[in-house]
Amino acid sequence: MKTWRSLSLRVKLTVLYVGLLVLILLALGVTLYLDNQRFLLHSLATRVRAQAKPVIERHLFSPPPAPPLLGGDKPASPPLDIKRVAPLLARDLTSRDTGALVLDAEGKVLARGKRLPEEPEPPPPLAAYYRRALQGHKEVQYTTWFQGSHLLVILIPLETAPGSGRIVGVVQLSCPLSQIDRILFRQRLVLMVGIGVAALVGTLLGLLITGSTLKGLPRMVATCQAISQGDLSRRVGLSRRGDEIGRLSRAFDQMAERIQASFRAQKRLLANAAHELRTPLTALRGSLEVLLRGVQDDPAAAARLIQGMYRDSQRLSQLCERLLEISRLDAAANLDKRPLALAEFFTELLPQLRLLSRGQEVVLERGPETEILADRDLLTQVILNLFDNAAKYTPPRGEIRLGWREVPAGVELWVADQGPGIPSGELPRLFEPFVRGKTRAGEGAGLGLALVKAIVSAHGGRVSVQRPSGGGCIFSVILPLRGPAGQS
Amino acid sequence: MSKPVILIVEDEENIAEFLRAGLSYEGYEALSTAEGSGCLALLEAKPVDLVLLDLMLPDLDGFEVCRLIRAKGLTLPILMLTAKKDISDRVTGLDLGADDYLTKPFNFDELLARIRALLRRSGKLERDTVLRAGDLTLDPRTRRVTKGSRPVKLTPREFGLLELFMRHPQRVFTRQTLLNRVWGYNYLGDSNIVDVHLSHLRAKIGDRPPRLIRTIYGVGYIFDPGGES
Repeated sequence: MKTWRSLSLRVKLTVLYVGLLVLILLALGVTLYLDNQRFLLHSLATRVRAQAKPVIERHLFSPPPAPPLLGGDKPASPPLDIKRVAPLLARDLTSRDTGALVLDAEGKVLARGKRLPEEPEPPPPLAAYYRRALQGHKEVQYTTWFQGSHLLVILIPLETAPGSGRIVGVVQLSCPLSQIDRILFRQRLVLMVGIGVAALVGTLLGLLITGSTLKGLPRMVATCQAISQGDLSRRVGLSRRGDEIGRLSRAFDQMAERIQASFRAQKRLLANAAHELRTPLTALRGSLEVLLRGVQDDPAAAARLIQGMYRDSQRLSQLCERLLEISRLDAAANLDKRPLALAEFFTELLPQLRLLSRGQEVVLERGPETEILADRDLLTQVILNLFDNAAKYTPPRGEIRLGWREVPAGVELWVADQGPGIPSGELPRLFEPFVRGKTRAGEGAGLGLALVKAIVSAHGGRVSVQRPSGGGCIFSVILPLRGPAGQS
Repeated sequence: MSKPVILIVEDEENIAEFLRAGLSYEGYEALSTAEGSGCLALLEAKPVDLVLLDLMLPDLDGFEVCRLIRAKGLTLPILMLTAKKDISDRVTGLDLGADDYLTKPFNFDELLARIRALLRRSGKLERDTVLRAGDLTLDPRTRRVTKGSRPVKLTPREFGLLELFMRHPQRVFTRQTLLNRVWGYNYLGDSNIVDVHLSHLRAKIGDRPPRLIRTIYGVGYIFDPGGES
């Protein structure tokens, strides 16, 4: 069983197919063979009976012609004396390929027909069969082996008169089956060779066909192994096939693509995190070394360095916090989603935004009264982060506009600033962790937009940024509307 | 020889701060700017002996600054500092005319050693590294100390103390600083051990009043060769 399990799918399928084929051919062949055998025996028996019938009738019912009696008296037929008729009957029924015996009503052999040496020796009668013939069964016949030859034995009951039902004896005819056996032997041979050839051809064709059908599988196995060994760039590439294998390959490739992408993002996040940690660490370590070398003896310089070290440590812990927040959102997205009326949400947020602004005018452009399903605290973080970003880059007397509107995909929340805009080179990775604008204004680890993206993605929405021709940029968050049921 | 002037080009204020403090303490004149353009302006305004250049700057990147400095025909040594570890960055930096390269975070001692090496090469520091004070000489390379013509045998700690004093004449060292510098930052012991080693050292170099190594009560020690000559 273990070896069967370890066989390849291709071999298993072929073995099953061919096994089934052989079974069906065998059943069909055996049925045909048995039928044929029955037919041949039956027709032989019929022929022998047909030949014997007139001979028997002549001997039993028309005794040897007595000298014709003159006169009109109808001669009374003499009573049938089986003992007298038997030798002649046996002799007449015997031929080169037929042996004959005549038995009396007790089964005793009255006469045997063999005279010439080339005539066959009749087999001894079998009580089980001749008793049935004596009881009146007209079609008793069987095959038997006698003196090395296969024989068909036919029993014919002898009646006193046609249809009288009184049985006085039995004729046993036997003829050899050598010719029928030859025919049947040839049939058996043809059957076995035929099934063998069919199995062989079936196996070859089966292997070929299943092989070409399952051709994708070994490739998929190789690809999976390569991927599990770390080569994430490998693809199966059988997506042009329309069958299940093609679909599987397509689904597999898509999965590999996504895994590779998230792996790359993960690696970049790690590299960026390490890089971002390095700056405060360099400052911390350098300050400590300089202090220990002797600057500690100068109180003013020491105080400045120590304050710097405090700021570095703050920055490090802030970095850790943000990273944790992002990984938490990436991991499970435990959102507390509730219906949220946007008009009310923005109205409550507005005073807080005015406080955060750095002297800029804050303009809220209201959209239609809409409700969405969202986590209120997280969505607040999204708007605060976007606004904080806008406030950093917009000049003090500028204007920051924000609002919401309906779009085909759902609801768009947007924040527009009057900053210098974003160089197109920075656009693709803008929302990745630790990516900061080159024109950085103030502190920040470059995690704000990454956090925005993580929150919005967890809500099933997406973030984008546009650069209008008038300058500045517009960050927009598109969130799906509540389901159709909730829209009423 | 006047103090060598080092220009720090670094936008991370905390890093610039410790570099300034550390380099001034080591006897350099340290200037700093956060921008590449500021660096170019300062180079024109002041005689600078060495530039410490960060690669990530808000306006121009370090490579560009490096290229512009060389384009002006200035040959002063440039030491690049960066958080990047790629070999290609180092090669680019050195090809653009930087003289040396250090990745963050770095060891401050190593930074100082590289600065000294660069300044020696450009002639701003004397190639002769033997330290002298009156008839006392100390050669850091051979670790040999002589008083007049008589060789003096010192233990490693005593040698370390004397070298530190002779490198920084006229500077007051607290016992804690001497412990840090000679015994190492990880040494956790009583600072009285400094007094013991110093008294041995004074005896070996025959330091009698007016002493080379003077005690400043309540603070520490100072090496004052002017007292004798």
